[in-house]
Amino acid sequence: MEDRIASSVASGIIGVESNGNLAGRFSPDRDLRRVLYALGVAGGAAFVIGAAISALHAWRALLMSSFLLISFGLAATLFIAIQYVTGAAWCVAIRRVPEAISSVIPWAALGIAAVIIVKPDIYPWSAQPEMFSEAAWFKRLWLSQPFFTARTILYLLSWIIISRAIVRNSRLQDDTGDIAYTRKNIRLSALFVALFAVTFCLASFDWIMSLEPEWYSTIFAVYNFAGLFVGGLAAIIILTVWMDRLGPLRGILNREHLHDLGKLLFAFSTFWMYIWFSQYMLIWYTNFPEETVYYLRRIEGAWGTLFVLNMFLNWVVPFLALLPKATKRNPSALIKVAYVVVAGRILDLYLMIAAPFANGGPKIGIIELVMILGSLSLFLLIFIKAFRNANSFPTGDPFLAESRHYHR
Amino acid sequence: MNQRYLIGIFEREEDILSATNASRLHGFVISDVYAPYAVHGLDKAIGLSPSRLPWVCFLLGLLGAALKVWFEFWTTGIDWPVNVGGKPWNSLPAFVPVTFEVMVFFAGVSTVIAFLFVSRLWPGARAPLADRGVTDNRFVLILEDTGPAFDQDRAREIFKKSNAVDIEERVETTR
Repeated sequence: MEDRIASSVASGIIGVESNGNLAGRFSPDRDLRRVLYALGVAGGAAFVIGAAISALHAWRALLMSSFLLISFGLAATLFIAIQYVTGAAWCVAIRRVPEAISSVIPWAALGIAAVIIVKPDIYPWSAQPEMFSEAAWFKRLWLSQPFFTARTILYLLSWIIISRAIVRNSRLQDDTGDIAYTRKNIRLSALFVALFAVTFCLASFDWIMSLEPEWYSTIFAVYNFAGLFVGGLAAIIILTVWMDRLGPLRGILNREHLHDLGKLLFAFSTFWMYIWFSQYMLIWYTNFPEETVYYLRRIEGAWGTLFVLNMFLNWVVPFLALLPKATKRNPSALIKVAYVVVAGRILDLYLMIAAPFANGGPKIGIIELVMILGSLSLFLLIFIKAFRNANSFPTGDPFLAESRHYHR
Repeated sequence: MNQRYLIGIFEREEDILSATNASRLHGFVISDVYAPYAVHGLDKAIGLSPSRLPWVCFLLGLLGAALKVWFEFWTTGIDWPVNVGGKPWNSLPAFVPVTFEVMVFFAGVSTVIAFLFVSRLWPGARAPLADRGVTDNRFVLILEDTGPAFDQDRAREIFKKSNAVDIEERVETTR
């Protein structure tokens, strides 16, 4: 890495390009922002009304929306961190997009903290602790209110602090082009990758798997990571193409960047299916009632349709669509696949989070739909604000030139 | 019949790319380019049409998967049924891992074999080396002498501009 930076400096491909004026600030349509605000407010209203009518329903939807948003933010941070750690240059030109996505983490963290602190009753072990008095001492300790809350706060704070620090360093580098910021971010990224691996595993066990505390699967965290990353990549692709169409990344984004993003989406979609099947097959083969209950609940009646649809949206469609090279290089084709994957991501979370509460078939209420729409709108508003607050590509990054001339 | 070639030898990745690009743009017939490793963008510089190997990979992968599913059905369901945990004979989920592996095996191996044959590198084939350095640190660009229309001086000029370390004329005799 050090060698590479040094040799790039020596050969003159590196250094602050004199194109600071190219990196204009992004200012989207005011009408678009009004619509997003309105949808965000509607989502908030749906939550308040829902909490009054059927509290479990609304709080569970809040957990789902917040987890959806935080997983976009975490996937974006992980995406940036992996590039720093591996010394990758290809995506530097479009890095402001994942950076802006990662700014959703603190906001989504508020939603998750609210659920854990205000309404832990959505978790059966909290609502009816007497049911678990026979459980192993460690399980009772692990799923006890104070420990659970403390862990949640620890995960959330560590993610917020590191992701903010990485973005801050990247932005500070814009003015000076100082390579010290790259070195700082490499260290922070290595820390994030290691810390994220542990904290996200535990967080998915805590926040989602403990909705069904008598069921467990050791691969559940890997499954959740796969969903997080494939959904996050789809979000990065969508917003990158939008920023190209709306102007800020025009002339910066090229087909090679899209091709690589498309390859990653293809790979992680297949990884998601692989891990999905790994979990399913072991449970199907062993056929223990306490394990199969998870799937029985999710294939019963109309749930079965959603269960199959989940595989189509997250794997069959992206796999077949992204096989040819042409789809990965064509922005309008690639973005459509990314929309399908985001829909699949939402459905996947719905199957994980809503199914334990259902008596009978899935009841997708107005409250849920409006809240999901509202949270996606808030996500876009947060993204737009963060993206506007910085140059639309990292003008001071030593690898910018390499990324812009990538494969050319 | 004799076929004449003009050969340029280069020592840097950027040089082979610029020489190849300039030759293509000038309309020279590029016979082949040799490099010690895969150079990004060289396929575009030569003007190669997209590879058809992905089709071999896809179709043979599909064939491998189909054959394996059929074979597993036949062995566990028809020829020698074994009761495993009370599961039905034709339990599809149990077939998935091996089907996946066989699909990857067929797709991977067949692509390599197809590539070798397309490149005329079947067993026993003699691969002529334009220069010993192409397996080590040198890049070689070969232009076809298409007869009177071939502007050799212009070609030599292009080679020199891209820092060619050696330029040679060679004749290949085809029987």
